[in-house]
Amino acid sequence: MLETSDALHARVRAFARGGAPDDFASLGLAIARFQAANSAGFARLVASRGARLERLEDIPGVPAETFRLTRVAVHPPELDVARFETSGTTGDERGVHAFRTTETYEAVALDAGARALVSFGRGPRVVVSLAAAPGETQSSSLGFMLGLFQREWDGRSLADGTFAREHAARWLFGPDGVDLEGLEHAAKVALRRGEPLLVLATAFALVALLDALDGRVLDAPSATAVMVTGGYKGRSREVSKAELRRGVARAFGVPETHVVSEYGMTELTSQLYEGTLPGAALAGPPDVLLEPPTLRVVPVDPVTLAAVPDGEVGMARIIDLGNVDSAVVVQTEDLVRRRDGGIELLGRQPGATARGCSLAVEAWLG
Amino acid sequence: MTDRAVDANDGGERVGGSAEAATSVDTNGVKRVRALVAAAARVADATSELGRRARRLLVESTGLSAENVAWGLEEALEIAPSDDDIHALSSSVTAARAAHVILPANVFVAAHRAIALGLAASARVFVRPSRREPVFARLLAEAAPGLFETVAALAPTPGDHVWAYGGDRSLDAVRAALPAGTVLHAQGPGYGLAVIHAGAVDDETAAALARDVAAFDQRGCLSPRAAVVLGTSDDARHFASLVADALAAREREVPLGRLDATELAEIRRFRDAAAYAGAFSSAGSGGVLVTDAVKLGAAPVGRFLTISAVTTLDGVLREVRRELVTAVGVAGTDDLGREVSMTFAEARVSRIGEMQRPRFDGAVDRRAARGPTLSSLVGLDPR
Repeated sequence: MLETSDALHARVRAFARGGAPDDFASLGLAIARFQAANSAGFARLVASRGARLERLEDIPGVPAETFRLTRVAVHPPELDVARFETSGTTGDERGVHAFRTTETYEAVALDAGARALVSFGRGPRVVVSLAAAPGETQSSSLGFMLGLFQREWDGRSLADGTFAREHAARWLFGPDGVDLEGLEHAAKVALRRGEPLLVLATAFALVALLDALDGRVLDAPSATAVMVTGGYKGRSREVSKAELRRGVARAFGVPETHVVSEYGMTELTSQLYEGTLPGAALAGPPDVLLEPPTLRVVPVDPVTLAAVPDGEVGMARIIDLGNVDSAVVVQTEDLVRRRDGGIELLGRQPGATARGCSLAVEAWLG
Repeated sequence: MTDRAVDANDGGERVGGSAEAATSVDTNGVKRVRALVAAAARVADATSELGRRARRLLVESTGLSAENVAWGLEEALEIAPSDDDIHALSSSVTAARAAHVILPANVFVAAHRAIALGLAASARVFVRPSRREPVFARLLAEAAPGLFETVAALAPTPGDHVWAYGGDRSLDAVRAALPAGTVLHAQGPGYGLAVIHAGAVDDETAAALARDVAAFDQRGCLSPRAAVVLGTSDDARHFASLVADALAAREREVPLGRLDATELAEIRRFRDAAAYAGAFSSAGSGGVLVTDAVKLGAAPVGRFLTISAVTTLDGVLREVRRELVTAVGVAGTDDLGREVSMTFAEARVSRIGEMQRPRFDGAVDRRAARGPTLSSLVGLDPR
């Protein structure tokens, strides 16, 4: 089993680099068959749906909430090297995405991130995060990814110390709000070095930043890019995407195209990005999330789970080749529409009972 | 969000936080409540034209099967409450110049108690029926002309009391729209939980639980969506198989009604997740998932239940958020019943099989000031 898993991981990484003879469908089916053979849960799901795993669309999607209900992995827990936890609306029902190796995660995240966020020359840049610092256990997939970007695209000190010792200085948001001083310091370092500044931020941290700045404009390099991820889920006042983009661009004194949305989930390995940053490899209109080579999104009917006609709204069925050891197809509750070569994110499928007395499943599961 | 203060007399929130003194108790409230109960009895009477029309119209408006509508009218609608209960209900509210009621759509008979609370508080009661299920309130109004007024929109003024039922967002919207000085009685989301002693795992308990589950196709906040067996995993699995049989049998008597697309989508996802998780037993249109306690409450509406094994009531508390539990059904010893009542002091506690028939002694939802909202309990990581 491990040999097969390793071989599939290698094929996915090669596919992500564009250096493999595989095609998406055959690789996806190979992973699905591997999972059906080695995961009793997935085998049960395949059987319950009568799926034959002969075409990509035959692969049953594992509902995202399954990660909160049971372990979704082909390997035993003792082989886990990382366990990323979902945030959970109620805070007490966390799902876990277990990884036997993070090599593929790192490869596809760096590749997709670089295509969307690396511009203004390929040299070093100052990278900081307006996000909560990951704990010692590295239980946040977002924290893991942001830390990876910090290390790989910067990896230097923001002052005189080493990168590791400066760890806290790069995580500029926490329970006390935004570390505005830390952000201004990072911007100064970038200006002094003549390097781009890359700010990796959650949406609610950016709202907090705008509130803290109260209209003031930061002294930041013109080569500043801001990656925005996540929704609000009640963590801050809600700001429309367009308003946030405008406000953030104004705060950093950069064009709105420098504010780039990212979409990822704990249950996934690959991420999607907008392709608005001038000079970056990824190019696309605002509000359209573009899939990396390792991921495809198919909007499906919420009841039949069949693909909806192009251009219509459906729930996102996400085929992620990076999920070799978990679920190659994840059925989310996010509503999407295909447009301009990518997808437009339109919110979440409403919970059936959110409107009434009985508690919505959504509210239980987050 | 609007400032609010909890009214010491009846748990309502005074919007705007002003400290207006409560008016005196309306002694005619009891009479008005009795008049409403009599009207409800006329609507429930299957031998009358009104009763027959009610059954026909409610099947259409609620989507419930004819058998479920009939069960609701004959078994759940409070048409013969005791005098003690009517007095208790009437004294649970503060007299008001006017009462306004925003009705829920999930369980049609809930309109009865909601309007009764308004009538207990005031002679001037304005009721906004649910857009999705407006029929039952209108039938009550027809059976009790002049007792209350159904309106398309409410216009409360300071000092008025407002009863509103709905999800967190709906209630926040109501709260924000009310003028300062009104008193809001907000009844938010919740769910029913069944607690079964291992010694009570038998066909009778399973059948009783199936009756509670099937009522109103599980749309109400009294409907059990999760059950815990105080015992071993084997006890839970055994009970699950009994409940699956009982649910299938109950469905033959009380068929599942019409579900909307959102509900069907939730069921689709639950079925797939349950198939993956294993230990899922199909039961007619629904099913029972045995799960390892941690994920209680994941069952969708329809005819579904999650069942888990825990060893103690403390174990139950570790798995559920007490403030979201509106009703607990108990099967077991009297001691267990007392322990559950103390543990879930704000929930309606009853025997399993009686969860849908709480006493007519006040609001169904006894959770006064709810704890922190769901959204305030999340961490800082968006994933």
